Amino acid sequence: MKAILHILEHDFRNFFRYKWWLVGLISMNLADLFIMAVVYNYMLSDKAGITNYFNFFAPGLAVTGLFASAFMIGREINMERRREVHHYMLSLPMTRLELAIGRVLSGGLRGMLYMTPLLVTCFVFVGFPSIWQLFLILAVLFLLAIGISGLSIAIAVSTSSLEKFITARGLVYYTLFFCSSVFYPLSLIQDLGREGKFPAFLVTLAEINPLSTASDMIRNFLLGSPPFFPSSLLNVLAFSAIFTFGAAFAYMKIIERK
Amino acid sequence: MRAIWFVSQIALFGLIASRMIAIPDYFRYYVSGLSVMTLYSAAIFIGFDIYEEAEHGVFEYLLSLPVSRRQLVLGRSIGGGLRSFIYVGPLIAISLYVIGAINPLSFLVSLFALFLFSFGVSGMSITIAVMIKSSDRFDIFMGVLDALIVRLSTAMYPLAIVQAANPVYGGLASFNPITYAADLFRWGTGIESIITLQNPLVPLLGIIAFFSFFTFVGVVIYDKSIEGGGWQ
Repeated sequence: MKAILHILEHDFRNFFRYKWWLVGLISMNLADLFIMAVVYNYMLSDKAGITNYFNFFAPGLAVTGLFASAFMIGREINMERRREVHHYMLSLPMTRLELAIGRVLSGGLRGMLYMTPLLVTCFVFVGFPSIWQLFLILAVLFLLAIGISGLSIAIAVSTSSLEKFITARGLVYYTLFFCSSVFYPLSLIQDLGREGKFPAFLVTLAEINPLSTASDMIRNFLLGSPPFFPSSLLNVLAFSAIFTFGAAFAYMKIIERK
Repeated sequence: MRAIWFVSQIALFGLIASRMIAIPDYFRYYVSGLSVMTLYSAAIFIGFDIYEEAEHGVFEYLLSLPVSRRQLVLGRSIGGGLRSFIYVGPLIAISLYVIGAINPLSFLVSLFALFLFSFGVSGMSITIAVMIKSSDRFDIFMGVLDALIVRLSTAMYPLAIVQAANPVYGGLASFNPITYAADLFRWGTGIESIITLQNPLVPLLGIIAFFSFFTFVGVVIYDKSIEGGGWQ
């Protein structure tokens, strides 16, 4: 446990080295909310089924912020691998499992930390959940964050160059962001799928996408719609379990080989 | 990476978001705005090259070349704009295919305006890079500037809507080079009915002013900053 805490400390120190970069990133997120979402409010069609895009988008923005920041750990691990810093990491007096779990956990916790001001902004402008709903939101977002952290680590250790990592990250980012209910209601994607204008597998991806589950759950708690099915939390649980353990295993095996 | 972003913005975000928006033909509107946004972010990259050259000692080599400082910065500005134009060219071709028919004469005018726009953005990027002198600060500044300049423009939404949403946003969007470039590109590609462009000469003059300002201010600042290792 103490070893994992050391890894957390190491990764949080790295995270705060980019504090101005993080300020820039947060300001970009807030520009999306306070400029783009405000203007989109005036362009909504009846088909959208949204009365206020600002309120609709605020929970989605917190989830995208969480995703982007939890994914940052992958870039650092990819860099460590290329610069052979991982030899130093492997020489530390801790087990491989502690090292791997520490990295996945720190990526997730950094995502939670970054996401906090965005979630608070969402609560301030959209409304506050009950205390139990708040616990559930934080628990789901934490599971999502460590799943994302695991996914980024799995990509980082499987790609040999920064270009390959950035390309893979771009593919994952945009597929998961745009095939989700972060920016628009899930019903629009389903309608396009029924009309044959959107591939069925992307519609299914949007339905099981943990980003959709987390965004819609927060919306349900704050706005009362769309409907929230507790069974959908299994998507987040499965995503988190697969990528946390998958990444820990990949991290232990692949960095030892290089 | 940028190509993946561009294609996914069209095929996923543009397609689905156009369902959500009440503006007729929003998909074509969005695709044309996306071309200008991509051109802007590609032209910005010349600023990062300045830091890389300073770090690797290429700056000294460039200063030793038998060209004047003014020729050097003008060449870099035009080179940066041209390379971003070549880079974004295939993406613009995709967007033209999606948008459909064009009027050749209007399109040539708007293409010329896009050339000037990308030279102007390169000049702006060089000017800011030389003034800031730190790649980290430059990265952050350009990120924030990108967030504001793109969102406070007509790249994603018509000016009338921006003005209705917030008069301050509308005022800023009216004097934004991305607005000028996006409106002219739409005018050139024949979808001006959505943007209600009264006179294409106004955005064209705006682009020329933007290009002239940053190219010539860039020359002066570059000239003053680089002598005696002043860029370090």
